[in-house]
Amino acid sequence: MSALIADLRISFMNLVEHGRRSTFLGAAIASVTCLFVLLTALSSGIRHTLLDTATTLTTGHLNVGGFFKVTSGAAGPLVTDYARIEELVRKDLPELDFIVHRGRGFGKLISDRGSTQAGISGVDIVNEPRLRTVLDVFEGNLDELAQPNTIVLFEQQAKRLDVKVGDAITISATTGRGVANTLDCRVVALARDVGLLSSFNVIVSAESLRILYQLRPDVTGVIQVYVKPRFVEKLAPVAAHLREILEKGGYRLMEPDPRAFWFKFQTVSREDWTGQKLDVTSWEDELSFIMWTYRALQALSFILMVILIGIMVAGIMNTLWIAIRERTREIGTLRAIGMQKFGVARLFLLEASMLGVIGALVGVALGAVVTWLINSANIHVPTSVQLFLMRDTLRLWLEPATLVFSVVMISFVTGAAAIYPSIRAASRKPVDAMAHFG
Amino acid sequence: MPAIFSTLFVIAEIAFRNLFASKWKTLIVGGIIGFGAFLVVVGTSIVDGVDRAMRRSVTGSLSGHIQVYSSQSKGDLELMGSMGGGPMDVEPLASFEKVKEALLSVPNVAAVVPMGVDTAIVSSGNTVDQALSNLRTTINAIEHGDTTAELTRKYEAQKAHVRQMVSLLSHEMDNAKLVSEKGLQEDDAEALKRASSDEFWTSFDADRYDHLELLENKIASLASDADMLQLRYVGTDPQAFAKSFDRMEVVDGELIPQGKRGFMFSKYMYEEMVKLKTARGLDKIKQAMDDRKERIDQTPELKRIVRENRTGVRELILQLDALRTEGFRKKLQGLLHSDEADLTKLLARFFDTDDNNFRERYDFFYRELAPQLELYRIRIGDSLMIKTFTKSGYVQSANLKVYGTYHFKGLERSPQAGAINMMDMVSFRELYGFMTTERAQEIAAIRAAAGAKEVSRENAESELFGAKPATEEAAAAAPSEAVDPLAHLRGTREQREKSEAAFDPAELQQGVVLSAAILVEDESRIAETLHAIEAMGKERNLPLKAITWQQASGLIGQFATLMRAVLYATVLIIFVVALVVINNALVMATLERVREFGTLRAVGAQRRFILAMLVLESVVIGVSSGAVGALIGISLLVWLGRVGIPAVTLELSFFFSGPRLFPSVTPEQVMFSFVTVLIVSIISSIYPAWLAMRVSPREAMSAED
Repeated sequence: MSALIADLRISFMNLVEHGRRSTFLGAAIASVTCLFVLLTALSSGIRHTLLDTATTLTTGHLNVGGFFKVTSGAAGPLVTDYARIEELVRKDLPELDFIVHRGRGFGKLISDRGSTQAGISGVDIVNEPRLRTVLDVFEGNLDELAQPNTIVLFEQQAKRLDVKVGDAITISATTGRGVANTLDCRVVALARDVGLLSSFNVIVSAESLRILYQLRPDVTGVIQVYVKPRFVEKLAPVAAHLREILEKGGYRLMEPDPRAFWFKFQTVSREDWTGQKLDVTSWEDELSFIMWTYRALQALSFILMVILIGIMVAGIMNTLWIAIRERTREIGTLRAIGMQKFGVARLFLLEASMLGVIGALVGVALGAVVTWLINSANIHVPTSVQLFLMRDTLRLWLEPATLVFSVVMISFVTGAAAIYPSIRAASRKPVDAMAHFG
Repeated sequence: MPAIFSTLFVIAEIAFRNLFASKWKTLIVGGIIGFGAFLVVVGTSIVDGVDRAMRRSVTGSLSGHIQVYSSQSKGDLELMGSMGGGPMDVEPLASFEKVKEALLSVPNVAAVVPMGVDTAIVSSGNTVDQALSNLRTTINAIEHGDTTAELTRKYEAQKAHVRQMVSLLSHEMDNAKLVSEKGLQEDDAEALKRASSDEFWTSFDADRYDHLELLENKIASLASDADMLQLRYVGTDPQAFAKSFDRMEVVDGELIPQGKRGFMFSKYMYEEMVKLKTARGLDKIKQAMDDRKERIDQTPELKRIVRENRTGVRELILQLDALRTEGFRKKLQGLLHSDEADLTKLLARFFDTDDNNFRERYDFFYRELAPQLELYRIRIGDSLMIKTFTKSGYVQSANLKVYGTYHFKGLERSPQAGAINMMDMVSFRELYGFMTTERAQEIAAIRAAAGAKEVSRENAESELFGAKPATEEAAAAAPSEAVDPLAHLRGTREQREKSEAAFDPAELQQGVVLSAAILVEDESRIAETLHAIEAMGKERNLPLKAITWQQASGLIGQFATLMRAVLYATVLIIFVVALVVINNALVMATLERVREFGTLRAVGAQRRFILAMLVLESVVIGVSSGAVGALIGISLLVWLGRVGIPAVTLELSFFFSGPRLFPSVTPEQVMFSFVTVLIVSIISSIYPAWLAMRVSPREAMSAED
């Protein structure tokens, strides 16, 4: 133990002694670490933006949706007698935080001065614990959504339609039979945009959507299941459990298919069954059509990191070679006074690893500071980049796990890069080493 | 002069010698710089290749080189669709003829094509419709006196087929009550009851057309197994379009003839949306196996298609009457060596393909089964009912004859290029809610017939829009929409006749358009032409706004720019890190050589000499390894230029403008990489050189190590 402490001290002294060299190499390690932190923060920023906006607007952590087929050729995204399903889930799913149900629709919104298309969520505002806290209503009152024929728009849509609170909007939608139905709604509130997804979505009262599609009161579009925070990153087993509960409850389930529900219409309407089938999906399934940007960014970061770490390793090995050459006499002396080969190798390894740890720590700190700076600067990005970020400003997200992982990974790589030069250094004969001149 | 040369010569000599003296440094610094040069050459050349390919794809398939639209528009022109999926907010250009003439007067403009892009909801036609249409053909033949035994048997089989569909339907209709407030509407329920009664079918032969009408008008709409397709289409002058966009090729049928109303599917959409799904599934698997060498057991996407094919046989079975059902059963029993009698199960087994039996099943399907099936829900020559929402939200509909399908050469498989269908400009205007001459006459006639209602309708309009129709355009558009509900009341037969109706070709030229596509003679002068067009617009008092193909294609057009930004950002990051590492390596090397510098100084070398020597050393390493990296890059690119980079996904084929991208290297790209490498090596050598410069002869000589 004391030997280790002594070695550590020697290594540290060596680093300090070659201050300039250590600083440069440390700076390289720190900048690579910092970049790694920033890239990871960028992709988890995207993921969190998606998770936040999507779970507010279009999906739960898990969803019990599915289709009801009146004839085997006509599928509607409907769940009948939803109260019974909610009861089953509440009773048997311990991971559950809360449940909401939403109607699903799609149509055209028309005002006096403009029109746009959007997905329509039918919301029962009285039973929506989360929506209220996430939506940033800057005009009007969300509570009025409890009344029929009401609609809440996002800023961008309101601008496009050129409407204010109190104005009327006509929703026109095509029912499964190809009949166009219209419904006049009053704008009761305007909310700030919640990422890009809010440009595809509007919120109406659940009642309005039922009127629009002429649905019975016990029919909804989807039951959105929100789990307790600690299960959010571990949804697969919860989804499996949920399926089990529903199957036990006597429901027919669709095979797992990781796509958003509107991609499934064509498939479902060709299958030979009628009545209700339920579909359990996760938020990632429902967003699969935009997750590719996130995955593309991840792949890109990975390639970039491999290249950068390669360059870093080359730099470390180069520096160590030179250091070892410089200190050949020192090695010889150490060996001559009885230090084992292993001890010499350990000394060099410790030195490199220590530099790695310090560099990585500085890099992580730097990354955290830059992340904070970027987030507070509220940088607006051009549209093509918005497609990747899913929002109009750059937001990074730091997770403690990332920080720890960065330090461990970078230190480990630095240490690994030092193994070969260290062994070479240690395997020199004391006599040769001592005789080495300069 | 000679003195400077000889100094330079000495510096160069020492620099080169040192390259080999410290091999490690050279190897590492050189390796990093060489890799950087390689990346820059290969990266820029691929991005440039994509840029060129995209230009070919976009300009050749829809937008032309320049798009011109009204400068009074509130929104942007987004030909490829906007991010929110909503319609464009673009003001129309009043008279195409005038705009065209003005545009053609601008130098470098070769051709002007009228355009308007919109989205419509189209019913793909359902299986009951199809069965009824077959029955109608047979009835027509019988009514014309054909009484062969063959035809009678066919007639009976088809009748039984329809009857079975009706009885299935009446069972299924009970489900409606579970979701819908009202369940079935009364007259629908009545019609369904009548159509499933024995009496209806025993009396069928007495008045065949009367019975058929009930089935066509009431029952078919209840079946509702049609897909509602969202179709994007361009309204244009088909002749001018085909001439100007020379990559366009008619695949099936013919081009919409001049002066005719009509619709053409893009081949991709026709296959993707209209074809029998199981057949399309087989095509997709075959494509993946042939083009991308994928295997069913290893690709989740293909597994999904197989599963869907297995469960989706209902669409196929509904097409079969008793005769063909028997035929299919025998064929499949033979192929599968099974005595299973249930055709659903036989077909499910047939479509349960794996890597071993796929090709055999595929061939069998197209050889034995397909000839007996309607592979497409909408046939070439059928008429297609297109419904749109006009800007103010009314539903407009038109019945158009489908003349054929088309694709763009080299972009056959691209979903982006295949997303757009085509119709004549006159029908487009009608669906978009603009006034056409024909409409105006129709409205006049209806007004004359229902004069009393006119006033109240006018009032309703002004109440709805909150103001009196102020502009001429609003006045023209509003009544044309108000009339729309009447269009639904007209009989189907009348609509069918109208779908083939002709119009005066001059009308196409005179009316409004949303935008005009311009093809130029010289692509390199696009920017200049843009200015010329806008200047001309101001001069002639036309509200013209001209944008490039990149802007017109929205996000897709920015793809190459985005790729370039990502590449440059990557290269920048790599070089910054490399700079630090190289700098570090050079500092190490310099410190090692302190004595050498001291000696040099002692024998009379100036500080500047040392500086020049060290910078030159790094430049030599940089340039020579940069050259090696660039050379490797160039040879890779030459090889890729010959074999091409395959477009691994269908989407990529648009960005590659074909199934493969053939990148090429230009001197500019190589120069760019050299300059970058030079800058990096000079910057990274400055600090170490400065260190070396400061070494005084005395301290260097006395340094022990």
